[in-house]
Parts: sequence; structure tokens; C-alpha cells
Amino acid sequence: MINFFELPVFGFFITILSFYLAQKLKQRFNFILLNPVLISIVGIITLLLLLDINFETYNKGGEYLSFFLSPTIVALGVLFYEKYEKIKSNIKPFLAAVAIGGSISIITVTVLSILLNAPDIITRSLAAKSVTTPIAIEITKITQGIPSITAGVVIAVGIFGNAFGFETLKFLGIKSNTAIGTALGTASHGIGTARAIEIDKLAGAYSGLAMCANGLITAVITPYLVQLLISLL
Amino acid sequence: MFKSLVYIFYFLIFGEIIKYLFDIPIAGNIIAMILIFISLKLKIIKLEDVKPASDQLIKYMVLFFIPYGVGMMAFYDVLKENWIPIIFATLISTVITLYITAGIQQKLEK
Repeated sequence: MINFFELPVFGFFITILSFYLAQKLKQRFNFILLNPVLISIVGIITLLLLLDINFETYNKGGEYLSFFLSPTIVALGVLFYEKYEKIKSNIKPFLAAVAIGGSISIITVTVLSILLNAPDIITRSLAAKSVTTPIAIEITKITQGIPSITAGVVIAVGIFGNAFGFETLKFLGIKSNTAIGTALGTASHGIGTARAIEIDKLAGAYSGLAMCANGLITAVITPYLVQLLISLL
Repeated sequence: MFKSLVYIFYFLIFGEIIKYLFDIPIAGNIIAMILIFISLKLKIIKLEDVKPASDQLIKYMVLFFIPYGVGMMAFYDVLKENWIPIIFATLISTVITLYITAGIQQKLEK
């Protein structure tokens, strides 16, 4: 029977099926923890454990889907351009906020992880936690962490930003909606942006552009920053 | 649609070639992302040349990273041993990032 599960169609099929079902669930009950990606991942892991199938066997099909992450990253460049054209005015202060916020994200998570005595491999997996998942996975391959841990952490950060980001910033005294949008996109990528869109259209646009800009900035500086911080501390 | 897909993969291959030739510590697809942005900005290519395939890929983006998430199961022991630094470092860093980014944007935007 194990031979059957090694067929690529098995891993491929359960992935698209679980995502389809998770989307249906989200449509019926609009609740943040019912994030379709999170539910799909938990559902698939549960199924694999029940059937006693290991990840390698599943991934014979799963990797056909992961392959498309690469062209999707190129597509994010196109999305970045479209959003950039929309917010051309006022772009300099915005880029300053995103660049500083994005760098602070990498520095604080890396330093905290080292101070909390996490092994190197964990520190290297956390550095890109604020950017959109496909980009974060690529960064972790370069920093030599574990891309799967990055994927899990990035999704969790997105859900946190979506569920609590707005309230946290209001509590800390931030009044401007565009500032909240910028912060949500910078710190918690696309899932945070989904919340910014609910605030208002402009906040959503700032958030989307912040996600793209921070993805770019973080991709370029993280490998150097992580190496530097690990050798210093 | 098909033309735009060819364009996307053309940039992707180009990014991978640059990465391969110069051995830069940035992924080939990220180099490709930067190049396609610059090419659009300098009007070397038109938005409608790349938009159809690009929109479809982004629409299904979350589906493509599910297998990586499932991959966490292979690292159960590592996660179990290190969940405290993972959660605290990530949580504190995220709140600081949110606050500093919003603070700077709010101060500078007027």
C-alpha cells in the first residue's frame, strides 16, 4: 500500500482538496483562526499521521505545487510595480518607514532568538519572519535555516498581525490609518494586509505596497545581517 | 495568458543565470523579481505583457506554500525543544516592528 501513497498524485490531490475544503469553511464561518492555509496544513498533517505516511512520501506530490513558488516570486515583482504606481506621491517617507521597520524586524528577532539561547538553526529560520511566505522560504534557504519552520512562523506572524495588529497599534497611540496599514504590511505581510483592507481602501493599498517593498528589502539584506549578528553575539 | 507565462519564466531563468554566474547570496527568483520590477519601471516591458499570468500565480500563491507548512511535521522534535524562544522572539519582534513602522510613517507622512 505504501507504494500507492508515493504516487505524486496522492500528495498533490490531498493538498488541493484540503485547500478547497478549508476555503469553503472560511466562507461559511468568517473567523481569523480559520485561515485556509493554517487549516489545510493542520488537516494534511493530521491525515498523514493517521495514515502513518511520512513527509517525504507526501512531498513526492507536494513538490509539484512548491515548484510554482519560484515564478510566483517573479509575479510579486509585477504586483510591486502596480502598487508602486498607485502611491507614487509621498513615497519617500513611506519607503523610509518600511526600510527601517523591516530592518528592525530582522535585527530584533535575531538578537532575541540568540539571547533566548535558541540554536543557530532556529535563529537562521526566524530572521525573515515578517515577509511574505515564498520570499521568506527563499531567504531561509540562503541563511541556511529550516524553510518549513520559517513557513510555519511566517503564517503565525501573519495571523497575529491580522487578529491583533490593529488593536495593538491603537493601544500604543497610533492614529493614522495609513500608518497602521504600512505597519501591518511590513510586519505581517499578506495576511496582515487582509486586515488593512478591512480598515479602508487606502490603508489596504499602503499595506500591500509595504508587503512588497519589505519583501524586496529583507531579501537583499537578511543574509548579511544574520551572519553579522550571529558572529557578533 | 501563455505569452505572459513565458515572460515570467524568461525573467526567472535570467535571474537564475545571474545567480549561477556571479554566485550572489540572493535567490535567483528574487533577482528575477527585482529585474522584472526595474524592466516595468523603465518601460522595457509592458504591464499587459506579464499581468495575466502574474495575477493567476498570485491568486494561488498560498496553495503553493502549503507543502512547506506540512514540512513542519518532519521537524516536530526541533520545534518541541525550541518553542519558547521561537514564540517569544517572534512575538516581541513583531510588536516592535509594528510600532516602529507605524510611528515613523505617522510622523513623516504629514
